[in-house]
Formats: sequence, C-alpha cells, structure tokens
Amino acid sequence: MSGRGRHGLLATALGALALLCAAASTMVGYAPLDVAAAAGDLLSGRDTLGALVLLELRVPRALLGLLVGFSLGIAGAAMQGLLRNPLAEPGIVGVSGAAALGAVLVFYFGAAGAFSLALPLGGIAGAAAAAGALLALARGNTGTTALILAGVAVNSLAGALTSLALNLSPSPYAALEIVFWLMGSLADRSLAHVGLVIAPMAAGWLLLLRAAPALDALTLGEDVAASLGFDLRRLRAGLIAGTALAVGSAVSVSGAVGFVGLVVPHLLRPLVGQKPGQLLLVSGLGGAVLTLVADTGLRLLPVRPELKLGVVTAILGAPFLLHLLLRTRNPNP
Amino acid sequence: MARRLLGVVLAGLVLAGLVPTGPALASSRTAAAGPRRIVSLNLCADELLVRLADREQIASVTWLARDPRASTVAAAAADLPVNHGMTEEIAAARPDLVLVGRHTTRTPVALLRRLGITVVELDLPRSLDDVRAQIRAVAAAVGHPARGEAAVAALDRHLAAVAAPAPAPDPGPVPGARALVLRPAGYTVGPGSLVDTILERAGLRNVAAELGIDGYGQVPLETVVMAGAEVLVVDGEAESPSLATEILGHPVIGRLAGRVRLVPVPVRLWACGGPQVADAVRILAAAARQDSAP
Amino acid sequence: MNIEARGITVEKGGSAILSGLDLSVRPGELLGLVGPNGAGKSTLLRVLAGIEPPTAGAVLYDGARSVGGPALARRLAYLPQGGEVNWSVTVEDAVALGRLPHRGLDTARDAAAIAAAMAATGVAALKDRRIDTLSGGERMRTLLARALAVEAEILLADEPIAALDPASQLDAMALLRRLARAGTGVVAVLHDLSLAVRWCDRLVLMATGSVVAEGAPSAVLDARNLAEIFGIEALRTEWEGQPVVVPWRRAERTGRTGPG
Repeated sequence: MSGRGRHGLLATALGALALLCAAASTMVGYAPLDVAAAAGDLLSGRDTLGALVLLELRVPRALLGLLVGFSLGIAGAAMQGLLRNPLAEPGIVGVSGAAALGAVLVFYFGAAGAFSLALPLGGIAGAAAAAGALLALARGNTGTTALILAGVAVNSLAGALTSLALNLSPSPYAALEIVFWLMGSLADRSLAHVGLVIAPMAAGWLLLLRAAPALDALTLGEDVAASLGFDLRRLRAGLIAGTALAVGSAVSVSGAVGFVGLVVPHLLRPLVGQKPGQLLLVSGLGGAVLTLVADTGLRLLPVRPELKLGVVTAILGAPFLLHLLLRTRNPNP
Repeated sequence: MARRLLGVVLAGLVLAGLVPTGPALASSRTAAAGPRRIVSLNLCADELLVRLADREQIASVTWLARDPRASTVAAAAADLPVNHGMTEEIAAARPDLVLVGRHTTRTPVALLRRLGITVVELDLPRSLDDVRAQIRAVAAAVGHPARGEAAVAALDRHLAAVAAPAPAPDPGPVPGARALVLRPAGYTVGPGSLVDTILERAGLRNVAAELGIDGYGQVPLETVVMAGAEVLVVDGEAESPSLATEILGHPVIGRLAGRVRLVPVPVRLWACGGPQVADAVRILAAAARQDSAP
Repeated sequence: MNIEARGITVEKGGSAILSGLDLSVRPGELLGLVGPNGAGKSTLLRVLAGIEPPTAGAVLYDGARSVGGPALARRLAYLPQGGEVNWSVTVEDAVALGRLPHRGLDTARDAAAIAAAMAATGVAALKDRRIDTLSGGERMRTLLARALAVEAEILLADEPIAALDPASQLDAMALLRRLARAGTGVVAVLHDLSLAVRWCDRLVLMATGSVVAEGAPSAVLDARNLAEIFGIEALRTEWEGQPVVVPWRRAERTGRTGPG
C-alpha cells in the first residue's frame, strides 16, 4: 500500500479513536449521570439537572480535551519539524511561558475579575506578544539557532516577569494558585471557554497544516528547502504564528499541559515513515487521544481533589518516551 | 541557619531594649489594669480588638483590617497604625500584648514568648459557644471583661431576634431547606465548622454533610449541580481578584438560578468569630423562610 | 535556461567571499567549477541557485531577475554539499521531495520522474531502505537522485562525487555528462582534477572570490595555474585521446598564491 494510503488510514483510525475518547470523557464524572437520558433531555429541550451537567460541564470538558490535545500535538510536530529536532516541544519558542504571563497580568492587575474570560484572553494576548517579538526577529534572515535562543530568552523573561507579577499581586494566594494552574487542568471549564479558543485554534491549525510540504522539504536541510521554492522566512513566521494561536489558546484555557507535544509526535513518527508533513495531522489527533485519556483517567482515580492534568500526561508520557529511546538504542527489539 | 540565628538575636536585642521603656512613655490616662500597647497579627483578632479595646491601647492591627471587603471594622481601623506581620514592625511597636491567630507565622510568636511578652492565640471558632468564649477571652486580655459580656449579650439578643419569628406551626421536625456553601476554588464547608453551625442556626440543612465533607473540602461543580441543594450560599462580594473565584462565574451556576436560589453572604460576616455572625444568621434565615414559602 | 551572473559580490563579516564575479551557465553543457578550498565555489553555487542574495550584482535567469518560489524551483535544481538528512525517511520518500516544486499536479509524471531518477543513480533497489542505514556513497547517490527528480533545466551540484567509490564516481560523471548532452545545463563543483578535466565541457577556475581562468579543461588546468592556484605539480598527458591531469606533488617554489 502506498504511503499516502497508509497515512490516510492511520489518520482515520486516530480520528475515530479521538472521538471515542471524547464520548467516553462525557460519561465519566463525579455525579451519577445517565448520559443517554441527559442527552435525550438536552435534544428535546427538557431543562433537567442531568442535561445541565452534560451541556455545561461534561461536553465543554471533552471538547476542550480534544481541542487542547490537538493543538499541543500538532504544534509539537510542527516545532520538531521546523527545528529538525525530536526534543522540541510546542513551548520552545516561548509562547506558553508568555501566555502564562499574560494570564497572570490581566487577571490579577487588569480586569480584576470584571468578566470571567479575562484569564484566557490575557493568555492569548501574552502568546501574541511573544509571537510578535519572535516574528520581528524572524524577519531578519536569522537561522534556527537564533530562533531557539530567542525562544529561551522569551521563556525565561516571561517566567521572571510572572514571578514578579505574583510578588506584587494584591491577592495573597496568587502564587499558590498560579503554581497549581501551571500544572494544567480542564476541571470545571465552560462552553464559553470553548467558544473563546475554537476560532484562534482552528486558524493556528490551518497555518501549521499549510506548512506540511515545506517541513517535508526541510528534511534535507534549509538550503534544499529554499532551492525547492520554499521561503524559509515566511515558513518560520507562519509556524510561529500558528503555534502561538494554537498553543497560546490551549495554555489560556488549560494551563500548561506538558509532554503531549513532545511525546506524541515522537510516538507517531515511525508510523508515517518519519515524514514531518504527514506527522502534523496524526500528531494532532494523537495529542487529543492522549489528553482525553489522561483527563478521563484522572477522574476515575480515587484521588480527590483530582490530580492535575499536566501531572498525569507527564506520568503517562514519560515512560512511553523512555521505552522508545531504549528501543531505538537497541536495534534488535 | 547562622543568618537566621543572627536575625533572631538582633530582633531579641531590639525587643529587650525597647520593651521596658514602653510603659514609661504610655499615657497614664488609660485604664491602669489593661495592656497599653497591643499588637494584633490576625484579621479576626483585629476585629475583636477594635470592638473591645480603647483606641489608645492599640499599637497596630494588620493591614487587612482596613480592607472593607475583608474586614467588618474597616472604618474604625482606617486611622489605626497597621503592620504586615514582620518581626521588625512588631519590635518597633514595643508591645505588651500580642494577639495572634492559630496559623500566624510561628517564628515571631516563639520569639515574642521567649521575650516574656504576653501572646494570646485565637483558635478558629467551630461553634457559637466558641465565638462567645473567644469574645470573653479577648475582652479579658485587653482589660475590659464587661465589654465582652455586653458583646456576647448583644450577639445572643440578635440571634434570638432572628430565631423568634419562625415558630414551627406543624408538629414534628421540619426539615430545613437544603443548602450548600460554595466558596472560591470549589471549596465547601461541612460539619465541625462555624459556618455549619450558622447554617443550622438559620434553619438550613447543610448538604455538605451528605457529601462526606468534614470541615473544609473541595467539590467538583458537577457534584454541586447534582447535589440537589435548594439554596446555594456564595461569597457576597469578590475579594481581591483570584483564579479561585473563576469557578463562581461558571455559566452553570447562573443556569442553576432557576431551580436553586443563590444567597450571597459576605465572607467577612462568618470568617471570624464575632458579633457579626448574627448578621450572617439573619441573611440565611431570611433565605430559609423565603424558601419554605410557596 | 541561461543563467547570467554579473558582478556578483558577497561580503560576510567585512570580508569579500566573492568579488565582482561574472559567469554564464548554458544549457547542454557540463561546467566544472574548480579551485582550492575557500575560493568561493559553494557560495557562488548558492547565489546561482537563488538561495543567497548577493551583496552586489545580479543573477539573471533567461535575462530576468527571479523572485524565487516554485516557478524557479521547477527549472533549477540544487544539490548542496554535506548531504544533510534529518529524519530517517526512505530512499524513495527522499527522492520524491524533488517533486515538491511541481506541487503534485501530475502524479503519474511525478512517479515516472522519481523512478527514472532512482534508476539513473542506481538506488532503485534501495528504494524502501531508511536513508540513515545507507553507506555514504549510497546516500550521496540518493541525494543526487533527489536533485534529478526535479527534472530541472539547470542542475547545480556541490561536490556530487565526494563520497563515492571510483566506479560510482565514473558513473556519476557519465550521468552528469549524459544530462548535459540531453540539454540540461549542469554545474558541478569538483575537487578531483582528473575527473574534472576528463568529463567536463568547460572549466571555471576560481581563487579568492574571483574567476582566474575559464575555458577548455586542459587549457584551464595548465602547469602555471596548477602551481600558482593549487600549489601543486601534476602529471599532464593524454590517454585514449582525452586529457589527463594527475596531481603529483606540492609545487616547490610557492604555496598557494592569489591571482595577483
């Protein structure tokens, strides 16, 4: 079978699995809920408590699991492709650190709790600012190393400013809350969060997916990619903007969920013949699966208050990664 | 370690050097028996201190006492000196009595005790009896036991006034409306707390007990929705902006409004043991009566 | 397609890599670019490929400046030296990257071009092998096949035979000349002077950023240039009617000197 056909099959399978995981996510929760009955109530417009829980709590949580996981997976694959480094992760260009800073600034000092979406909006603003700084840098014909270093600089500056902001925050609990928030969670999010991030995320995905042929060309280095007609400056700009939109939005609603963007592309790369362009879509779908499995699993664990999502994805992801590294070191499985 | 030791020694020298000079400087007009330079390191202690002591007796209260969202004595505390709980500030005030909370930073407290300064520790009150005892204890410590008795009497009078117009007409125990407290970050309050006592006193049944919450505990919003509470008690006013209050803005809380009544109670009314708890009981009792009406 | 490079100057960090260089590339010709290390051969190739903008001067493709992009990429293939490969893709997938400028408009033609390129460089049998499991020579031939798969009018190859064994070197040179005979303009940077003089239609000798000599291979690689530019003495003769140049020993009088 051709590579293209296998890729289509893999994407279809992962997509179906992601939808299945999302459906399973709505069936798991803290209150005994007959999901079928609640869905029936919802569809026939009966305003029952069950319908309320399903629509306002479980569906947003499942949808955000899909959206956040897809964003992290696809952005991880894109960054690994751009930097041609399997250790790259979506936050490497500084957008997640900056998103956290934006959220902290807007929430604690700006909007002062005036409206409920101040936090994610602040996060998106922070990611946009970081992306703007990096894009300005990428306009000059800088290489990959400069881009990584700029990302490191943005990340550490954002981290330091976040600490400073927490230091000066009027709320005595701010530091503790942010530490927990940065561990990532999808608990008790609403449809408003979904509505806020879905458009910027989709725009980000499109920018990343459009870069697929250029990422393939980068397999043979920047000069070959340029000789194949790809404008590397435009490519970098598009990937930074796409990552900022997708990951900035994800961090804004879920905090920092680590490991998904690192592990998923790594796991799936052999299944697409290592082609970075084909890795994008399947990594997005795989990221959604991993995020949903982790988020559903932590609600099934008998630990209350529930574990943080970022903690669970790391616990699930790290052994996978280690296993993979050990297997690739030893050519005889 | 060495630095910390040095800090303690230095602070000790400051305190030891300054404390004996305190009484000489103090005005002789104040009551002879009571302490004359009282420092409070805890918001709940601030409130009782401002209510029960003479203003001349108060060396400083915490900066929180001036915050009208958190404090019930903000107006009275507006022109009192404030501290931020730093050892140097305490030393500079040359206190002869320090009021602390159960969870106040331990290092300065231990140091103060070693220097022979009277430290009165306020525990979290878990019942109305605890509240009464605490009012009397602080009144005695500041040298005004009679004011303490008067405050307790006023509290009981207010509580009686709340309870009076609710005579149960039908025989047998009337089950009160089912209520759940929802605090920031999804915290609720169960049995073994002052809040639980206040709910009960107001004629409400605390659903948290059914959820197995003892004292303070976190509940997912899903549980809040499905718990079947008729009254949802939320914070009356936003405190300083906090991630934790995000949860109270969740649309599902708004959509519950049709079947559950949201009763806002300012946190300052029941965060501390003091006369103000009667106000909390009054607000909740009104909500309970409204609920039992058709 | 004709390429005319006029007055090309490239400066990096204050020093000139290329200084006011002129060069023309014509279809149907195998042009060898020779010269000692640091002469600016690779930079010139990058400028001709449109990857590196010159500090001064212009490159004209059929008389016009190019804005780059797929339109130029379909007409001009570039094979850099070093053979960078980042992911362990298969040989066939790597060669298929040469079809990217064509944007998959004609998949049958793409498949034919990929198969032909692999056959021409002798890697068809390796098509399902991961590229990182290949020997250096197999890898080089795969990357050459990638450049051939573009089916461009011009092929710019930077040391295309560096990693190859003697038989493969001969195959590769024969292949490049066959391409030229079929109408492609081929420019190859070469260090092997005996192969350069034997296979190329024309040689351009570079030193310190300028063209020192240009013309028929045996004329360009005369004793004086070999001594002054390369700093060597060489055996120069003929075999089967073809010129032969075999580097023999370092020239005694001088090291390398510039064109003066």
